[in-house]
Amino acid sequence: MITVFFQQALNGIILGSLYMLVALGLFLIFGILEVTNFAHGEFYMLGAFATLFAMTGLGVPFLPAVVLAMLFMAAFGVLVERTVFRAIVGKPLINGMLLSFGLSTFLTNLALLLFKADPRKIESEFAQIHLSFLGLHLTLERLLVPAVGAALVGFLAYFIRHTKTGKAMRAVAQDRIAAQMAGIPVFRIYSITFAIGSMLASAAGSMVGAIFLVSPDMGWTVVLKAFVVVILGGMANIGGIVCASLVIGLVESLGGGFVSYAYKDAYPFLLLVLAFLLRPEGLMGGTKG
Amino acid sequence: MSRVGRWCVGAGMAALLLCLPVLFSLDYYLHIFVMAGIHAMLALSLGLIIGFTGQVSLCHAAFYGIGAYGSALVSLHFGLPFWIAMWVGGLLAGVLSYALGRLVLRLKGHFLAITTAFFGVLVTVVLSNWVELTKGPMGIPGIPRPSLPAFLGPLAGFESRVAYYYLAILFVLGAALLVRRIVHSRLGRALIAIRENEELAQSLGIETMRYKVFAFTLGGGLAGIAGAFYAHYILFISPVTFTIGESINVLVMVVFGGMTTLSGPILGAAILTILPELLRMAGALRLVIYGLALMAFIVWMPHGIVGTLRELIVRRESESPGG
Repeated sequence: MITVFFQQALNGIILGSLYMLVALGLFLIFGILEVTNFAHGEFYMLGAFATLFAMTGLGVPFLPAVVLAMLFMAAFGVLVERTVFRAIVGKPLINGMLLSFGLSTFLTNLALLLFKADPRKIESEFAQIHLSFLGLHLTLERLLVPAVGAALVGFLAYFIRHTKTGKAMRAVAQDRIAAQMAGIPVFRIYSITFAIGSMLASAAGSMVGAIFLVSPDMGWTVVLKAFVVVILGGMANIGGIVCASLVIGLVESLGGGFVSYAYKDAYPFLLLVLAFLLRPEGLMGGTKG
Repeated sequence: MSRVGRWCVGAGMAALLLCLPVLFSLDYYLHIFVMAGIHAMLALSLGLIIGFTGQVSLCHAAFYGIGAYGSALVSLHFGLPFWIAMWVGGLLAGVLSYALGRLVLRLKGHFLAITTAFFGVLVTVVLSNWVELTKGPMGIPGIPRPSLPAFLGPLAGFESRVAYYYLAILFVLGAALLVRRIVHSRLGRALIAIRENEELAQSLGIETMRYKVFAFTLGGGLAGIAGAFYAHYILFISPVTFTIGESINVLVMVVFGGMTTLSGPILGAAILTILPELLRMAGALRLVIYGLALMAFIVWMPHGIVGTLRELIVRRESESPGG
């Protein structure tokens, strides 16, 4: 029983790391462009396909393929920001929301058309390496998820806090107009934000493709949960996102394992309700919106 | 537009709507028109919440579904006729809408949107898993049709889609008149004040929470009645009809038509029910085109069809010297 518990907890942490990578991109895009990007899950899906094709088409090993996919998706993210999202900067939130719904529908169905619906698996060389300790079993491939997640978060935190670009990003998030007056190239910051967000989502997608499966419709469920992470994390800082994603991952995994698997997609909502009841004034600035 | 011009347009529209079943008598066309009517009810009620009160809700299909299940279940288990069961469905949706509104309407903007989206997911999960009540993904078949006393004519048994078509027109008209009545009252002005500037509205003594909950409850209730209509029209319901995809669909209809107008959501619902049918010949490309069209539309016509038309008319009238 206790082993099962720890096994589920471990799965929860792996799941949480994946949500975290997607949620961080959403959080950055939301904070800096003030857009709820419902198409973010499609970046994650396309990243997974990019990794798959880099491996099957170019014969690149798994990790370099993940990096290649991240670079490709960064360019794709910049393209999407310039062609799609730049048109609605400063418009009401519902415009950005519907624009991203349109983009999500477009990308999902284009992928469906080009890549077909049957799920595929990324065959990474780490899947064969089994580890076990204290009666827990996992493959190196799974262990890679929290490790890569932690490395990317550390890198992102350093980037935001200490580099000049990172500081400019924070300035734009605080006050776009003041940042512009201070000489910060706001549009370039938007592009960089999208590039970073797409890279993180792409990394998450690639790892999901290795552990589970790659399919054109894989983005939608993840993006909703990542949004819950962003809300629970309080829109405040990266630390909040990390904690919230681990909580969501653990609740989903343990709840699915011990309470009811059928209702596991409902847990994030119940968690949100619980949070509202405990903090009726709203979650850390949640009422400022 | 002059008063006479407006009356002429109105009368022409009414005549066209009444004659449609004669012009397009195929069941397939009639079905599309009835669905357009149901969507118009949904879009009108969501327009009250989003367009006039400014609260973005992504769970409208949940109330639609709750109304459908509520009405279907009471009519099957207690033998209630549609004319009573539909109020039960609407009431149930309204009550849940009220409860959700009380809980989440203190949130704003994106936070509200995402929280309501998750409520929508929750409702779908419950409908799919509460098998004892809802039969889960299998759905509920054999929902009775509405019926009227037979002496009222050949349509009274609701055997043909023509009867449903006229009933849908009545329902949409009722919903439109109700929303219109609210929007042009003191209540409506309070809602619009909340949309424009919530803090200012509150400082003027408008109890914003109460008004927001009111709009949310009424919108949810109307969606529930639309759901009841759907259930007793299709005669079968299952959870897949009431997912977040449908919520987004209705939202797009509202914005496409023009969310701060009354005619916008109706027009948006009609166009976006008929247009995808025409796109069917595009086959697998259909949703690709739909996504692209949605993006182009949001960028170029952010105020919707009715909003853009109004801007054009205002511009022309201000340019012509006679006014």
